Amino acid sequence: MMKKLVMTVMMIVLCALLAAPSVWARETIKVGIVLPLTGGQAAFGEIERNSFEMALAEINSAKLLGDKKLEFIFEDDTGKPEVARSAAEKLITKDQVVMLGGGYGSSETFAIAGVAQQSAIPFLVNTGSADKITEQGWDYVYRLNPAASDYPMGLETFLTEVVKPKTAAILYEDSNFGSSSSKSFETTCKRLGINVVLSENYSKGGVDFKPLLVKVKQANPDLVYMISYLMDASLLMGQSMELRITPKLFVGGAAGFTLPEFPKKAGKASENVFSATLWYQTLPYPGAMEYFNNYGKKYGKETEYHGAEAYAAAYVIADTLKRAKSLSRPDVKAALSATDMMTVFGPVKFTSYDKKINQNKLPTYLVQWIDGKLELVWPKKIASKPFIYPIDFEKTWK
Amino acid sequence: MEMFIQTLVSGILIGGIYALIGIGMTLIMGVMKIINLAHGQLMMVAMYITFVCHQYLGLDPYFALFIAMPCLFVLGAAIQKYLLNPLLKVDSILPENQVLMTVGIGMVLTEVMRFIFHSDYRSIETGYSSTAFYLGGISFNLPMFVAFGIALLLTLGLFLFLLKTDVGKSVRATAQNMDAAMILGINAHWITILTYGLGSALVAAAGTLLLPIYYLFPDIGGPFTLKAFVITMLGGMGSTVGAIVGGVVLGVAESLGATYIAMSLKDAVAMVIFLLVLIFLPGGLKKLTKV
Amino acid sequence: MNSRPWVLGIIGLLLLAFPFLVPSDYYRHILIISLMWVVIGSSWNLLAGYTGQVSFGHAVFFGTGAYTAGLCVTKLGISAWWGLVLGGPVALLVGLVIGWICFRLRGPYFALATIAVGEIFRLVAIAWRDFTEGMEGILIIQTYRSKVPYYYLALLLAAGCILAIHLVMRSKWGYYFVAIREDQDVAEAIGISTFRYKSLSLMISSFFTGVAGAFYMNYMAFIDPHVVFSLHDVSIMAILVGIIGGVGTLWGPPLGALVMVWLQETFRSSFFGLLPRWVSEAHVLVFGLLVIFVIRYLANGIVGDWAHIKQLIFRSKAASFSTGGDRS
Repeated sequence: MMKKLVMTVMMIVLCALLAAPSVWARETIKVGIVLPLTGGQAAFGEIERNSFEMALAEINSAKLLGDKKLEFIFEDDTGKPEVARSAAEKLITKDQVVMLGGGYGSSETFAIAGVAQQSAIPFLVNTGSADKITEQGWDYVYRLNPAASDYPMGLETFLTEVVKPKTAAILYEDSNFGSSSSKSFETTCKRLGINVVLSENYSKGGVDFKPLLVKVKQANPDLVYMISYLMDASLLMGQSMELRITPKLFVGGAAGFTLPEFPKKAGKASENVFSATLWYQTLPYPGAMEYFNNYGKKYGKETEYHGAEAYAAAYVIADTLKRAKSLSRPDVKAALSATDMMTVFGPVKFTSYDKKINQNKLPTYLVQWIDGKLELVWPKKIASKPFIYPIDFEKTWK
Repeated sequence: MEMFIQTLVSGILIGGIYALIGIGMTLIMGVMKIINLAHGQLMMVAMYITFVCHQYLGLDPYFALFIAMPCLFVLGAAIQKYLLNPLLKVDSILPENQVLMTVGIGMVLTEVMRFIFHSDYRSIETGYSSTAFYLGGISFNLPMFVAFGIALLLTLGLFLFLLKTDVGKSVRATAQNMDAAMILGINAHWITILTYGLGSALVAAAGTLLLPIYYLFPDIGGPFTLKAFVITMLGGMGSTVGAIVGGVVLGVAESLGATYIAMSLKDAVAMVIFLLVLIFLPGGLKKLTKV
Repeated sequence: MNSRPWVLGIIGLLLLAFPFLVPSDYYRHILIISLMWVVIGSSWNLLAGYTGQVSFGHAVFFGTGAYTAGLCVTKLGISAWWGLVLGGPVALLVGLVIGWICFRLRGPYFALATIAVGEIFRLVAIAWRDFTEGMEGILIIQTYRSKVPYYYLALLLAAGCILAIHLVMRSKWGYYFVAIREDQDVAEAIGISTFRYKSLSLMISSFFTGVAGAFYMNYMAFIDPHVVFSLHDVSIMAILVGIIGGVGTLWGPPLGALVMVWLQETFRSSFFGLLPRWVSEAHVLVFGLLVIFVIRYLANGIVGDWAHIKQLIFRSKAASFSTGGDRS
């Protein structure tokens, strides 16, 4: 008797589980977001999730979607493509989300994009930046953030107009992002007539970068361009200072050089270092500064460009669903294609150029650490502070 | 030439840190004959202890040594007593069960730390983190230099402990032949617990000394576990002096490999040397020096 | 379990009918991944569980198979499906070379050597950008939209692998393998060429792991060195699959694979969204605790200690389960 009862209850629960999505679908619109919430990249996944949630609360309280409630279902990809794929499959078939968002690491974004394209469900990428992602001809994959090869665009004019370097050394992390960015920066250098004297990769997490930096010192380039994440960036700068490597300028080509942790760890070695970046809170985009301040208030931590990407993506998703004729996938896709709006991350409009399709083209910027603070220095007309160049490293490092 | 000397110097200095990581492992492997795949994770725990001491108590990492080492001693001893020793009594198909247990322990340690501290990258700011002094244009990193000195001191201490004290002699006897040691009235269980505790405390020292020049997040342990057993095999299992030699050899090999082959193949160079030693020089450099 | 062929028959029928019983692509995907792990876990078990050579480097063979399939596309310009044919033999050759190097070593030394080989493969695959595309990885387009063909292929591979291992273990080779595991010196003394039979075991093991790798490339359509040569996510996962299920048993690794993949997925998705979010953050923790628990209390895995588990469940006091002799 007891056994039967238990069995019945279990069956009911199981049925309810499977049937649940169709019951709830009327009141809320579900969107699946895949982010790394555990594993090595979780720190950024967290910033992005917080930003998504912050935007979601605002969207729902402002009733942007009328009577309907927007819901984000977060899935953890643990930083592995295989798991990212499972997560995307689950969101599509079990939760029956109307579209997908997120995508942090390039490899994971690939896996999700593959599923999205096959299941014909729109996927708005907000961070994964390997060029190839929007070069596959996958028409269901849209990207809000600039591709990796566009990162140093802001730097380019600075180099041609101000620095005019003759030689460059490129150091990059052996990740998907690192190696595709380094390739594109090499072609940029070739175009500008800069001689690349050294281009070498390293595995993240090294303790001692001196053997690599000795080679940089030997080559004595005008420009050192480093595509490094996180703490590698601080270690590279700290050890460059130790070895007294003095090029005309150091430029960072990835997130590592713009994070608040960077000056904390690198100390005075971080001073006057430039970095190419996608976003900065003082940019003249509506709501950018407000988002930055609100995030700090709400979570007690500083946000950075990843967060802004996520926050903007949430608004693009809401806007898309508001404009969509119905919640069917083709209609959502059509609405996403027609996106033309302003976000905290800049204008969003999907275009096709080079080999890319559905790619949002955004200008990139140059920031510099001045007196322990990150300042926007290039393009000149929107700079928050004039850039410091030429730099006397011997003096700043004293 | 300057490039070569600078590479050599940084190789030797990083070798000091490696030696500290390896010395605990060599002790554990020498006595228990198991590969401790949780070694790097134990170091990670010690680094978090140091981090907390610095952040909330304002303790300098060098003072935190006196907190992190005892804490890890207790943790290591508990692991040996409650998780590893019971396995000796269980009959299983594979003798490697203890090794696999350490894999599980490593996973749990990492995840527990993630639960408490999240995945955020932590680092501590000390005045001397990237302080260096210069001799003829060659830079010597101060914290690494100090770590090297402490590594030498700890090795000497351990060496004397194993050579002169009764307990140390029992440890050596157990390492040579556990069954025979037990017949001679040595409480081998107690010795294994002591050994694992000591090994953990030594790797705690490595973690504490590494923190000022490095950074910290829960997944940091894995690569250092690999380094630890490479050093152990290079130096010879159970050889304290071997650990120093192994550490320095590894550090120099990696640095030279990074400078003259490619930075990305630095770890591959270390692994190839490791394989060669395993195959052609089983017993490690100890075989050559007889120490 | 062989004594009950009808159990096998029912499981087989259920597996055959699965895509029709469960229309959800999500569950199909999880089962496909589980079946792939059945192949890897069983292959690892042949070498480690039956022959006693605990490998910490099965990612080498998995990655070799996957890259064989991937390079078919990028270098040879043929379909990645050729990888399914070529992946196994290429992995086998790699296995042969690795065996030649590593089988000079025993026990923990062998284990260490395999870790080193695994790391060398991963690092070289990253550094050799002209050949492997480095960390940019290899991306192909999946052949089928539906999961069903992949499902049956995975099922076929898993069944083939289990059957092959079953047949090998019933043959003369099988006895030699176990003899080597039990005591290598005695085996050598009674005239078994331990090197040859260890190599044979490794060859079969690496062959199937390589095929699984090629399947992964075709199914996931994206690989990079960190994914397929991963020490933690492939080599150690293969070991955990074997340990949890039971080493040295035919059905242990298959069960282990199912348990591991489903457990990971349930926890990762916080029991399909029913439990609070922190549960999903604990999935590796649960893994670790499970490993500790199994090794501590079920040293021979779920299948190996099945009698023990039964007794625990039914609380029978008969103390006949295997605690074995007091070794220490």
